Amino acid sequence: QGNADAQKIAFLLRKQWTLYSVTPLYRFSEAHLRDYARLLSAFIAAEKQKGLAVEVGVELDIKVAVSSLPDLKGSDQDQAAVLVQLSLRSPASPKNSEEKLVWSGWFCCVSGDHLSETLPEDFTCLPLFLANGAESYTSIVGSWFQKTFDCCFRRLAISPLNLSWMAAMWTGCKVDKTASAIELVFSVPCLPQPLDISYAIHPEDAKALWDTVQKTPGEITQEEVDVFMDCLYSHFHRHFKIHLSATKLVKVSTAIASAHCDGIIKFLQSQYLTGVLMLLTELAISQIQ
Amino acid sequence: MDETVAEYIRRTVLKIPRDEIKTMLQKWGFLSEAQLQTINFHQIKDNISQDVVQLCEENSADIKQAAELDIIYNHIYPNKRVWSVYQMNKTGEETDFFDLTEFKKKFKRQLRSALKNVTINFREYEDNAIWIRIAWGTPYRKPNQYKTSYVVYHSQTPYVFISASVLKSNLPLLCQALVVASNYCDIREMELRSHSLNSLKDIVFKRYSQNFQTYYPRPLEERNVAPENEDLRIIQENRNEKERIQRVNQQIFGDGPQPKLEFAQYKLETMFKSDPKMDVLDKKEPFRCLVKFSSPHLLESLKSLAPAGMADAPLSPLLTCIPQKARNYFKIREKKGVFPGSFVSP
Repeated sequence: QGNADAQKIAFLLRKQWTLYSVTPLYRFSEAHLRDYARLLSAFIAAEKQKGLAVEVGVELDIKVAVSSLPDLKGSDQDQAAVLVQLSLRSPASPKNSEEKLVWSGWFCCVSGDHLSETLPEDFTCLPLFLANGAESYTSIVGSWFQKTFDCCFRRLAISPLNLSWMAAMWTGCKVDKTASAIELVFSVPCLPQPLDISYAIHPEDAKALWDTVQKTPGEITQEEVDVFMDCLYSHFHRHFKIHLSATKLVKVSTAIASAHCDGIIKFLQSQYLTGVLMLLTELAISQIQ
Repeated sequence: MDETVAEYIRRTVLKIPRDEIKTMLQKWGFLSEAQLQTINFHQIKDNISQDVVQLCEENSADIKQAAELDIIYNHIYPNKRVWSVYQMNKTGEETDFFDLTEFKKKFKRQLRSALKNVTINFREYEDNAIWIRIAWGTPYRKPNQYKTSYVVYHSQTPYVFISASVLKSNLPLLCQALVVASNYCDIREMELRSHSLNSLKDIVFKRYSQNFQTYYPRPLEERNVAPENEDLRIIQENRNEKERIQRVNQQIFGDGPQPKLEFAQYKLETMFKSDPKMDVLDKKEPFRCLVKFSSPHLLESLKSLAPAGMADAPLSPLLTCIPQKARNYFKIREKKGVFPGSFVSP
């Protein structure tokens, strides 16, 4: 049982997930996941009939699976994560398990107490949604959930402020010797010729800097994040005379995870998965409220 | 005609924008004007290329002739490839008379002695540029026409521009052949790379407008500047600072267009320095960073940073030295000694 879950978690790593915030789901029940899979499957088939086909040409059968990821939560109050997967089954051998996974999406809530506590009875709190696969599938699945549970999906952007938090937090995490660099990507689009700047710091050196900035272990303040970023900016300025603070931080990549301001995340280490999800859950909740 | 040659010609024609196909075939000169008249150049490219292959079949094209067309294509569209710059050295002072025939003979001989299966084509252009196309094979396989390296050698200079392609293992062989054929002693790769071949030439041949360092910086001379907004209610804040930035920018970057580079990379191995009040990192070892700048037109982009308020003027010499130093890859270490704030780039 534990192994199967570990496999499922491993499946979440090293993939690019697009982030959405989701308002509370009305009358959603964990006991009915199989029924939801059936209904969603029928919905997709109907959409295809209407001509909103996702796959032009070959008539392929889409199989829907909805399952629970009980380990993906922060506290006991959290709702267990729900995973939706779409696979294509070739018509030539319907019974044959020649299935190709084409789309995955999962709802989760990690330490979302401050929202879930305030919700009335019939509502389920799963404010974070992550999707991997074609946009057209995301749209169909999203429509069904919106119709069925009276909720609302919205793309979750990540501000430069939140990206700097991620940079600071993830730099502080303990990783092994072969860790990749802390990379910050800045964009300056509004020039006559746009400019992108990638600033990558050796993980040991970045961590050494962060360790002298962070005063209380286990706790991070905005001030500490600001000092850390200012140090990096001034080191850069010393060399290039460019004010990175005047540019837009668009992406942060570390050995733990990478995050893009358009609301795209990649998890790279399973031991820090819930930590990152906790932060993202908080962002999603802020967007909903 | 060999099937592989036919396919190669077909694919090469497909790469060419439709409006350019006729001109390029004329430059190629393999098909007669009469034959070209028979082709409808307004049909879709697929059909045009089929017609061309048909005519090449009539003329029994071989791989060398097909390769000629590829050189012509790459000469007109060099920016589809990434070019690196190499510099050759010779010990003596004598400038040997350059004999093109000798060069080609020696080059082919040197290359073929190491690797039998290569296709080598030469084409000369007006500006003393010799274009060399090499398709690489292995001891057991015929040359792969789709895995080619290109060399552009200006015989009056020690510079060679190479677009190596995937088979990096053949690079030492190629360099050796160049050195032997041109009577030089050795060759080294400069840290300069770009898609824009002409810009690389501009930088290395110093053909861009350089800033001429004068001892007393002269104020901007009267130029035909469009009159400022006449509305007196609009006041330019910081006018002096804006003008200073323009002046400094012009001194550093010069007046003319900048050579076109797409990226610059800096490996920093300098110390981290901070205000001692901040009580942060104070290590004796370098703070290791890798910085990459990228832009469709990097130097123009950097030039616009100070006027946009995102950088100081003058911009750091690490960036402004790119054309003069003819490099866009740097390793920066702390300079020890009298001026702790300055950097050294080996």
